[in-house]
Amino acid sequence: MGRYLIRRTLFLILVLFIVSLLTFLIFVKLPAGDPARRAVGRSVTPEQIEAARVAFGLDKPLIVQYARFAKGLVPLPGWFLTEDVYYSYGSFVAVKEEIYRRLPVTITLALGAAVIWLAMGIPIGIISGVRKGSVWDRAGMVFALIGVSMPVFWLGQLLLYLFWFQLGWAPSSGLEIGDSIWTAIAKGEFILPWITLAFTSAAFYARMVRGNLIETMNEDYIRTARAKGLAERRVIYKHGLRGALTPVVTMLGLDIGLLFGGAFITETLFGLPGIGQYAVQAIFVNDFPVVMGVTVLGAMFIAVANLVVDVVYAFLDPRVRYT
Amino acid sequence: MIALVAVLGLVAAACGGDEDPGQDEQTTGAPAENLSGGTLTMAQLADVVSGFDPQKEYYSVTWEYYRCCLLRTLMSYEGVPTEEGGAEIHPDLAAAEPEVSEDELTWTFTIKPGINYAPPFDDVAITANDFVTALKRTANPKANVGGYSFYYSVIEGFDDYANGDADEISGAVAVDDTTLELTLTEPTGDLGYRFAMATTAPIPPLDGAEFGAAQGHDKTYGRFLVASGPYMFEGSEAMDFSVPAKDQAEVAGYVPGRSIVLVRNPSYDPATDGLRPAHPDRIEVTIGGDNDDLYNQVAAGEIDFVVDGAVPPDKIREYQTTPDLQDRMNVYPSDAMRYVSFNLAMPPFDDVHVRKAINWAFDKQGFRQQRGGETTGELAGHIFVNSLQNNLLADYDPYATPNGSGDIEAAQEEMAQSKYDSDGDGVCDDPVCEDILTVTDREDPYPKQSALMQQFLEPLGITLDVKQLERGVMYTRCNDMNSQTALCAGPGWGKDYADGYTFGGPMFDSSGLWPSCCNYQAVGASADQLQEWGYDVAQVPSVDDMVDDCSAATGEERFQCWADFDSNLMEEVVPMVPYLFDNSVDIISANVTNYSFDQFAGLADFGAMAVSGGDAA
Repeated sequence: MGRYLIRRTLFLILVLFIVSLLTFLIFVKLPAGDPARRAVGRSVTPEQIEAARVAFGLDKPLIVQYARFAKGLVPLPGWFLTEDVYYSYGSFVAVKEEIYRRLPVTITLALGAAVIWLAMGIPIGIISGVRKGSVWDRAGMVFALIGVSMPVFWLGQLLLYLFWFQLGWAPSSGLEIGDSIWTAIAKGEFILPWITLAFTSAAFYARMVRGNLIETMNEDYIRTARAKGLAERRVIYKHGLRGALTPVVTMLGLDIGLLFGGAFITETLFGLPGIGQYAVQAIFVNDFPVVMGVTVLGAMFIAVANLVVDVVYAFLDPRVRYT
Repeated sequence: MIALVAVLGLVAAACGGDEDPGQDEQTTGAPAENLSGGTLTMAQLADVVSGFDPQKEYYSVTWEYYRCCLLRTLMSYEGVPTEEGGAEIHPDLAAAEPEVSEDELTWTFTIKPGINYAPPFDDVAITANDFVTALKRTANPKANVGGYSFYYSVIEGFDDYANGDADEISGAVAVDDTTLELTLTEPTGDLGYRFAMATTAPIPPLDGAEFGAAQGHDKTYGRFLVASGPYMFEGSEAMDFSVPAKDQAEVAGYVPGRSIVLVRNPSYDPATDGLRPAHPDRIEVTIGGDNDDLYNQVAAGEIDFVVDGAVPPDKIREYQTTPDLQDRMNVYPSDAMRYVSFNLAMPPFDDVHVRKAINWAFDKQGFRQQRGGETTGELAGHIFVNSLQNNLLADYDPYATPNGSGDIEAAQEEMAQSKYDSDGDGVCDDPVCEDILTVTDREDPYPKQSALMQQFLEPLGITLDVKQLERGVMYTRCNDMNSQTALCAGPGWGKDYADGYTFGGPMFDSSGLWPSCCNYQAVGASADQLQEWGYDVAQVPSVDDMVDDCSAATGEERFQCWADFDSNLMEEVVPMVPYLFDNSVDIISANVTNYSFDQFAGLADFGAMAVSGGDAA
């Protein structure tokens, strides 16, 4: 177990290194404009542009530039997202400060949405799987089809228009100034974003649970359980579901890891000041330190989630061994 | 109500005479106290550009926050439209107009005494030296990446200080607490306007530090900004400048990317300020969101105004056609011009007849339709927006065509005179007219506009190779002479302040050529430069002398000079096709009981917006 974790952690570092290098190369190679030129405004002399380039460290060789950013990714005090390098080329605000401030919003959005999509997707999947071919199954799968087909940006707009603008049942987009996360939750400011973000995933999870359950119910050990005379209810819920839900854990871990890196569309649409909104704003103006910080953070969340899922998976399914 | 107050405002403006503007009330004519109070709630799609640092912010939205609310300058504007005097500057922290020496090289400002900063500097009076501090920070390459130095290089010793060759700016001297003397290297008629920009707003002294309260905040002074206007960031009084800069806590009222909260500055004395009505007690701004949704919130009265959005076309139609809503839509010229620029060093645009032919063929009406129709602006017949020339060329258009839709016949007559039309049939028959490299913005409506342009250029024998790029990349490509871009189809240009120099200098003077900005036309490039950039063309027109002449002119002569310059560009140089003078289109919520458009920033005057729920309610 210990060796497994060490190996996976080293692999995680390698992944982050590759992601950071690719992000850096994209920044360097794509014709996205010179950050120094963008920063200095329009009526400037070559000397001012050069001064900005020096200030940003863009006058140094590429390998040195990358090394400065790479050093900032090492999770050591004084190194991690160091403010000397990781600051916005626009607002000059430290990336670390912004991430710390925005992360609670993103986490709240991701966890709340996950609760909703699990609460919707798993029961629908179970009912559809258990009553395959029934009206319930068909209704569930129509829901799933609609859910996976509906773009998030459209659904969000629709929900806002309907439940805020027309009916006035939900608050509009954005968080009120001065509200803490808990106050915002209490005021219902996260409800529409949660539903928007959860809807597609709920549909996807319903399909997945249904498929897994149908497949599991055809396994030999289920047949054995039935042959032993166990009640069908017990067969389904004690033996069938355990097998059917194990892959859900994997997906859930990865999905949440992904969302911790920012729910780009939902946060932008609903004006939620989270990591995703931060990344979108930075990408639009080629604010490289922000893009690098957020990208690597997102990659780290996914990689860590992957590791956690693999560890948990072994507890859930005794057939899995650490190798 | 708004219509009424606007009429009253016009009367008030007309009767204003030489009195200090705004001492009564700006567009309203009503006593200020009747409109004051309440909370103005606004939204911004995106944060300001450089975190409110006055030496870095080069953004009209931030300029409005500074002008209306946070920072006072030696000279400033009234926050009204051009026709009400919004393009004119008035003494603000200056006690009177500056005294200018006979040779126009020495400007002396006398500063109003006894005006204090906002907390925590509420016991500190603004003095002449604080303006020198601001100039130093403007010159400091570590603090200023906003590019403002360009405007202040005319001050003797400014560049030396910026380059580290001097410890002081020799031409900026605080003679005493209330006298600032500026010595220039050349006559500069618009210096007053340059001292209406927030980069020159005073910075309070702090223990003899070179940059005063901004010392140690090279990157983020905006979050420690000490206000001098009617408002300050909420929580300003809690800032502690007695500790080292790195240990100071940022002001609470500005959370980057999330919110801006302005509250009244207790040090502010309205009796010293004739320019700012400062109606709301509090201004709250949320940052982020979806454009259409935010305008729905305005319609529903949840917020009062969207600072940086684009009113959706369906909302414009709704507000135009619904009588109850018409008063809540405000349309004003924003003093910006949209154009298609020619690279004069790239064939076939090295031939003036080709450039004129395209001006004749240009379907300006079609371009405007694709932007949203008449509301979006006035068809442009020349380059400089009218307010910069005191409307001297308001009716001028040397390429006027029926309905502004282009005249292919006239265009072909012009093309027939070109060296690239060998048989004189009005159609270019030279290979240089095929697949001309054109760059444009990838966002709507520019791709559609490029498609339209291909259609109306086809009868002239011109075909385009259009590259759609992200906006910032497009501007860089247009600017970079090495890119050999022939046509730049997506740019726009707005004034920095109400003077022709802000158009003429950066766009047409050779000092704006690559790698500086933003002469995309290669106007004024030398033979050596053209060769270095890889062009076969060895000579292009230059207008540097005219820019210099106009820069030195003053008063009416200056307006006329820029007008002559503009007409010369349109008829002799022909560096572009100007097609639209942009409008600013706002809608406001039903809560807003007073509105004024600030021509300086091209935005609503936030401080002039009164809200129901204030004393007026």
